[in-house]
Amino acid sequence: MKLLIVEDNAKLMETITETLESENFLCETSLYFQNAHEKIFLYNYDVFVVDINLPDGSGLELIKEMKTQNPSTGIIVISARNSLDNKIEGLDLGADDYITKPFDMAELVARIKALLRRRNFSGNSKVTVNGISIDTASREVFAGEQKIELTKSEYDILLFFFSNPGRTLTKESIAEHIWGDNMDLADSFDFIYSHIKNLRKKINAAGINTPVKAVYGIGYKLDSNPTE
Amino acid sequence: MRLIKRTYIYTSVWLIPVLVIGSLFAFFIIEYITYEETDEFLTYEMERLVRYHEENNDLPDFHKVADIIPDLKLEQPVFKDTLLLESGDNEMVPHRELRFSINHNGHDFTIVIRHLLLGRDDIAQGTIFIITGLIFLIGIFLVLTLNIVAGRIWHPFYKTLNKITHHKIGSPPPDFDKTTIDEFSQLNSTLHSFLKKITDDFQHNKEFNENASHELQTHLAVIKANAGKLLGEGNKTAHLEELNKIYSAATKLSQIQKSLLLLSKINNREFNNNEKINFETILESSLKTFDEVAAIREIKISKETRPCTLLMDTGLAEILVNNLIKNAVKHNIQRGSISVKLTDKSLIIENSGQGFSGNPKLLLQRFSKGKNGNIGIGLAIVKEICEIYKFKLSYAISETNHHKIEINFQQG
Repeated sequence: MKLLIVEDNAKLMETITETLESENFLCETSLYFQNAHEKIFLYNYDVFVVDINLPDGSGLELIKEMKTQNPSTGIIVISARNSLDNKIEGLDLGADDYITKPFDMAELVARIKALLRRRNFSGNSKVTVNGISIDTASREVFAGEQKIELTKSEYDILLFFFSNPGRTLTKESIAEHIWGDNMDLADSFDFIYSHIKNLRKKINAAGINTPVKAVYGIGYKLDSNPTE
Repeated sequence: MRLIKRTYIYTSVWLIPVLVIGSLFAFFIIEYITYEETDEFLTYEMERLVRYHEENNDLPDFHKVADIIPDLKLEQPVFKDTLLLESGDNEMVPHRELRFSINHNGHDFTIVIRHLLLGRDDIAQGTIFIITGLIFLIGIFLVLTLNIVAGRIWHPFYKTLNKITHHKIGSPPPDFDKTTIDEFSQLNSTLHSFLKKITDDFQHNKEFNENASHELQTHLAVIKANAGKLLGEGNKTAHLEELNKIYSAATKLSQIQKSLLLLSKINNREFNNNEKINFETILESSLKTFDEVAAIREIKISKETRPCTLLMDTGLAEILVNNLIKNAVKHNIQRGSISVKLTDKSLIIENSGQGFSGNPKLLLQRFSKGKNGNIGIGLAIVKEICEIYKFKLSYAISETNHHKIEINFQQG
């Protein structure tokens, strides 16, 4: 998978690239509009992650360019503006998803993977970890042959874990993932605790040792290589 | 009330004293002239009689003599008003009489001559005719003049008014037409400079918000990303607890900034894409967002909604409803309850909750501290949105810790 990432902050770019490379994505980066513009003309990418605010141009222009050059590229817009106008404009131009700063790396990874699944680049809408498989097309979860009934939030959390196996997901990032802007619920962490408790219970009931582990004080983690 | 209608009313009111005084004036003038004329006539007649008598020692064949009183001598001729019975229509009729004396063959005679006067009722009648005619003429004249004046002179004013009522905050100030009337051209230029200032402020504010947001959020993103990365490495990293604090604080900071930014944008009237929205649908979808969370707390939600259409920005309507429902869930208790009532006139949300000793109004301010020290900006946003649309917002907490928030959609 080849990604083009355009972001004007070098430090943030570095972290994004490191994270995505650890997920085995091939990343090309650009800090400037001009440079990105050239790359869009010269190469093909599967996913294009673009910041709208660039020092020498607007990311929205790059989206337009990408749409004419290579319409099959999936586009994720990064913006700090969080203004509804920009969101709509970006999506109108053909962007597939929209993420506002500051975002968790886990969130970005989940969005990119979801986009790739939707575009069917990986040719498979099924994600399987430790004998649990999620069919993202029908939003169904199976433990072997047995179907596990999950609520919407439980499903979202599980898929979030599956997109980030082995990575510790902070409570904050899980809360933001399922509630978005409504996440400032004072006791949203209690709700996450309840959701994960129920999720574990359901997975255990299906006869599978739950791979979701608590990381004390920080959050939770999907153990992709269970020791037992 | 329209300007032209006001003008008519004021002008009519001012016309009343003019008409009253004018009628009295006309009445007395006519009366005065009548007396003058009658007296003059009687004087001429007296002079004619005296002259004729001196020349011919007799009275002429035709004269107005009504009575001759013998053996009475008046030093001066005397005018007098008198009423006489008119036998024809059996009515007392005012007459003017003049008495004067002549000497005929050594005897004094006082001669009385009379002439019919205009009755006061006749004068009043005449006055009324005249004034009615005048009112009619003045009325026609007024309507014509005022209409022409309103149409011509006030034309630039109405054009300006039309332009500013259709002006949208954020769009460039409208160009007002040139006018030769000083006051209006002053009004236009003042309005223009005000609108320009408002537009500039709006733009500056918007840019500042965007820049502050971009810079701040980008660097927060760097902090979060790196702290998150170290946290993800788990046990390999020392000082996990401290790292987690940095990460949480950065998350919280970014949330606060987002909320403040939203408040600032609402304040700056950046959401002004008003359209007819179905408030009921927005409420339903918001309730759906929170029903799983409510279920975890075993909160019973009862709702009673009726169709409600409002002219409002969709984004703001969603923010309004989400904040209210979130608030009701967030400050609720285990096995609590929420009741939502929507009519086309108002939205009432009642929920069980924790006690609050202070004034509920304080809850509507930004950064009022809750029990666990968290800041409540959600209700401040609600308040701001209500202010924009002139909705009436009230918040009450009963002694049984029942919170009730009511929004009355009727503007004004």
